[in-house]
Amino acid sequence: MSTNTFDLVVIGSGPAGYVGAIRASQLGLKVALIEKFNHLGGTCLNVGCIPTKALLESAKTWDKLGHANEQGFEIGSPKFSWNKIMGRKDKIVDDQRKGLRFLMKKNKIETFEGHGRIAGKGKVSVTHSDGKVTSLETRNIMIATGSRVRELPFAKSNHKGIMTSDDVLFIQEVPKSMAIIGGGVVGVEFASLFGRFGCQVTVIEMAPQILPFEDEETAKELTRCLKKQNVIIETNTKLTSIQDKGSAGVEVMTEGNQPRIFEKVLVSIGREPVTDDIGLNTVGISTERGVIKVDLATYKTTIDGIYAVGDVIPTPMLAHTGSAEAYHCAEVIAGKKPHKVHYESNPSAVYTYPEVASIGQTEKQLKEKNISYKVGKFPFSPMAKAKIEDSTDGFVKILFEPKYNEILGVHIVHARATEMIAEFSLNKVLEGTLDEIAHTIHPHPTLSETIMEAAHAGLGGAVHL
Amino acid sequence: MELSQVLLPSMGEGINEATLVKWLKKVGENVEKDEPLLEVSTDKVDTEIPSPASGIFLQAVASEGMTVEVNSTIAWIGPQGATIPKLTETTSGLQGMKRRSQDQVGQGTTQISAPTNSANIPKNAGHVPSLIARGGDFEELTLKRSSPLVRKMAFDYGIDLRRVIGTGANGRITKHDMDRFLASPGAFAEPVSAMNTFAVASDPLLAKVSTKVVDGKETLEGVPVKREKMSKMRRLIAEHMVESVRHSPHVTTTFEIDLNNVVLVRDKCKKAFADKYGFNLTFTHILIRAAVLAIQRHPIVNVSVDGDEILWKDQINVGCAVALGNEGGGGLIVPVIKNAQTLSLTDIALKLTDLATRARSKKLAADEVVGGTFSVTNPGGWGSIHSNPIINQPQVAMLGIGAIVKRPVVIDNDKIVVRPMMMASLTFDHRVIDGEGGAMWLATYKEILENWTEIPSL
Ligand SMILES: Cc1cc2nc3c(=O)[nH]c(=O)nc-3n(C[C@H](O)[C@H](O)[C@H](O)COP(=O)(O)OP(=O)(O)OC[C@H]3O[C@@H](n4cnc5c(N)ncnc54)[C@H](O)[C@@H]3O)c2cc1C
Repeated sequence: MSTNTFDLVVIGSGPAGYVGAIRASQLGLKVALIEKFNHLGGTCLNVGCIPTKALLESAKTWDKLGHANEQGFEIGSPKFSWNKIMGRKDKIVDDQRKGLRFLMKKNKIETFEGHGRIAGKGKVSVTHSDGKVTSLETRNIMIATGSRVRELPFAKSNHKGIMTSDDVLFIQEVPKSMAIIGGGVVGVEFASLFGRFGCQVTVIEMAPQILPFEDEETAKELTRCLKKQNVIIETNTKLTSIQDKGSAGVEVMTEGNQPRIFEKVLVSIGREPVTDDIGLNTVGISTERGVIKVDLATYKTTIDGIYAVGDVIPTPMLAHTGSAEAYHCAEVIAGKKPHKVHYESNPSAVYTYPEVASIGQTEKQLKEKNISYKVGKFPFSPMAKAKIEDSTDGFVKILFEPKYNEILGVHIVHARATEMIAEFSLNKVLEGTLDEIAHTIHPHPTLSETIMEAAHAGLGGAVHL
Repeated sequence: MELSQVLLPSMGEGINEATLVKWLKKVGENVEKDEPLLEVSTDKVDTEIPSPASGIFLQAVASEGMTVEVNSTIAWIGPQGATIPKLTETTSGLQGMKRRSQDQVGQGTTQISAPTNSANIPKNAGHVPSLIARGGDFEELTLKRSSPLVRKMAFDYGIDLRRVIGTGANGRITKHDMDRFLASPGAFAEPVSAMNTFAVASDPLLAKVSTKVVDGKETLEGVPVKREKMSKMRRLIAEHMVESVRHSPHVTTTFEIDLNNVVLVRDKCKKAFADKYGFNLTFTHILIRAAVLAIQRHPIVNVSVDGDEILWKDQINVGCAVALGNEGGGGLIVPVIKNAQTLSLTDIALKLTDLATRARSKKLAADEVVGGTFSVTNPGGWGSIHSNPIINQPQVAMLGIGAIVKRPVVIDNDKIVVRPMMMASLTFDHRVIDGEGGAMWLATYKEILENWTEIPSL
């Protein structure tokens, strides 16, 4: 039995769990990683970040091909094979899974396939698919069981007409029409994906804007651009019923509207933590609507030796956030004194066309909190590189506090927004201000120059407008 | 008329920055070339800066109280309504301008892309102290690892970051640390006078006392007090003094000197001298000249100490403390008579008169107050008969001159006569000069003065 004794057992191999496992192992701990799915990598790698981004990249290429004639390429009317597009996605996912396997081996992390449950303090059981159970003894436990799709109680996925993001990633062909319930990150990404491949998409959102947690101007700009991608957006719209009528399609009713028929319906109303069957009650860890409360300096739960990171705790449900938490948590467990995870610099990223990336507060939030702020905003449209790349939609908008010019929020909308936001995250971590951004020479011609211009604009001296 | 940027001019070697004390012109006023435009203070000297061009004073880029680097843009002068290139107000806004100025000065400023019109001159141009003011106090205050934001806060509150404990990566001071520090009771003695207490107290060279607030009044050991911030000069003096006493073991020795011969010689040529030069030959002039002669015989008082090494100097540069009085805004300045070993009595008199006049009207060039190798102070002018000077670092000796007082003295043959007597004290650095050395220098000084014959050339 002694071989099943560990310093740390990590439950869940998503971007939180596997990163925590690797870091702990690097720091000399003996680590086990339990995963119930037959592949490592969690939501992110298997049915989240990676496959969606792979498909969205294909949509981008498709888009470019649509404009190829304008750019002087005589390729007639391009065609695509959805099958091959999906194949490419699967291959990328598969490559990454292999990579993860290798990383586990390299870091001498023992992986257990099966359902992990806390069986008491310092005890974890793994129930394998054949029903056999392996018991592990451990000094520490890291819960990283992640999240799953939240479903509508009255319209659960039937994996046919009514789908979740898990299903839609394996859809056989691009539907003619699709209703997307929920205009959050997952919803708008799929809207931008299917819309560009010719599907008539209708996004039904209850809130007054899509991406309800992003800045109002961001939502406006994205809405404008999505319209050009066969996407209709209905905000302030309440769903009342969904009925799969088989070959006749799916009937969707919204408040105050006639029933409408769509070929497919994607329900993307959010995600919920996976904490119901992991043995929390055996040690007395309580949850609030499934979420585990932790101390954000150490990620300790209320029970000594048990930690939780990633989508199961009340921080943004993002892969990189979970990874950062797990890395930090592993260091705490290994006895190091790491600096706290810097949530203010935590970027959110949406991979639509154009992309959306942001950190910090929105204008609305600042107004609500009565924080005085100034705005430095600059559009991509006058920038040479944006024209060269044929991506003039979007802007960089910086909200900053007027006394020291500390940056309070950044909202970038652009085809490559997610690659540009890290500059601001770094600025936040280093406690920079707008001045350092304005003072930093950005290469020309690039899209990142727009960042510098937005900073100049905030300080009253933008040049290229 | 062309648009011109006013750069902070170089004020001599080793002076890289100055604090803007006061604008002597208002924005919108007309300024003539060479007319005084602003007053600056460096750690060596206070001086006026003349306008480099004629025109309307369009914009002040730096504001009063700000420390500015030499060669950075401090103002714009030009025709009414001229377009001023916007500074981007980045930390290096000034440095950036500096480069432009080198490239483009004299070619007009049309090449500087100027996207805005004059209506857009920022109201508080230059009101971004943390951005523009660099160097000097600012850098001193922010020596510790910190972030741009923290440095701005430190500058804003006048906080010495050495007092703040950093908890960030590698001890970096974070905004959180700063907020905590500012909220701590020790950060400010009293919120109202926060800035005042701070700027002074923040310098570890200057000790702090702890006061209590009683019935809403700040008190020190039960005595009500009112706080006032030291001027920059006051603070610098305070720091120099504390530092000097810390560095050098001070010893003072005093001789009484009979100035009978000096008085006789001076009386003889007094009138002719005044007629010729328009000012009086004073005892100070002669006393300095005599000190130079004594230094030549005992050069150990003219050295500096560098660790365990002695730096001998082949110049005798005598610093003469000049009190600025109220007219000069108070304080003390020590202009230097350079290469005094080559100067005659008349040269010394002319030089000192010129330096003292310009010191009082703040017209000294900064390099006229550096490089002293020996100093003289003359509190005798106010009636003091004996003083205990503090050495002006990095020198090793300072001569204090007492009042010349008629006294009955016993001379040869036990005769009692009335003589103009003066106490001369030499404070010296015991690291390099022993009691004997100090006494020998004073004995020589006494001998020179008591046998004085030199008359000024006329
Ligand atoms: C469609 C979609 C797109 C997304 N795109 C992005 C994106 O672009 N960028 C981004 O940052 N985030 C994105 N996310 C969110 C991201 O995937 C999650 O935030 C992230 O995966 C959370 O990581 P985690 O490790 O906490 O949990 P998960 O990735 O959910 O991993 C948890 C793992 O634990 C396993 N597990 C659960 N319970 C047990 C148990 N009892 N025993 C053993 N194993 C168990 C699960 O099988 C799973 O593999 C996306 C999500 C979706 C659904």
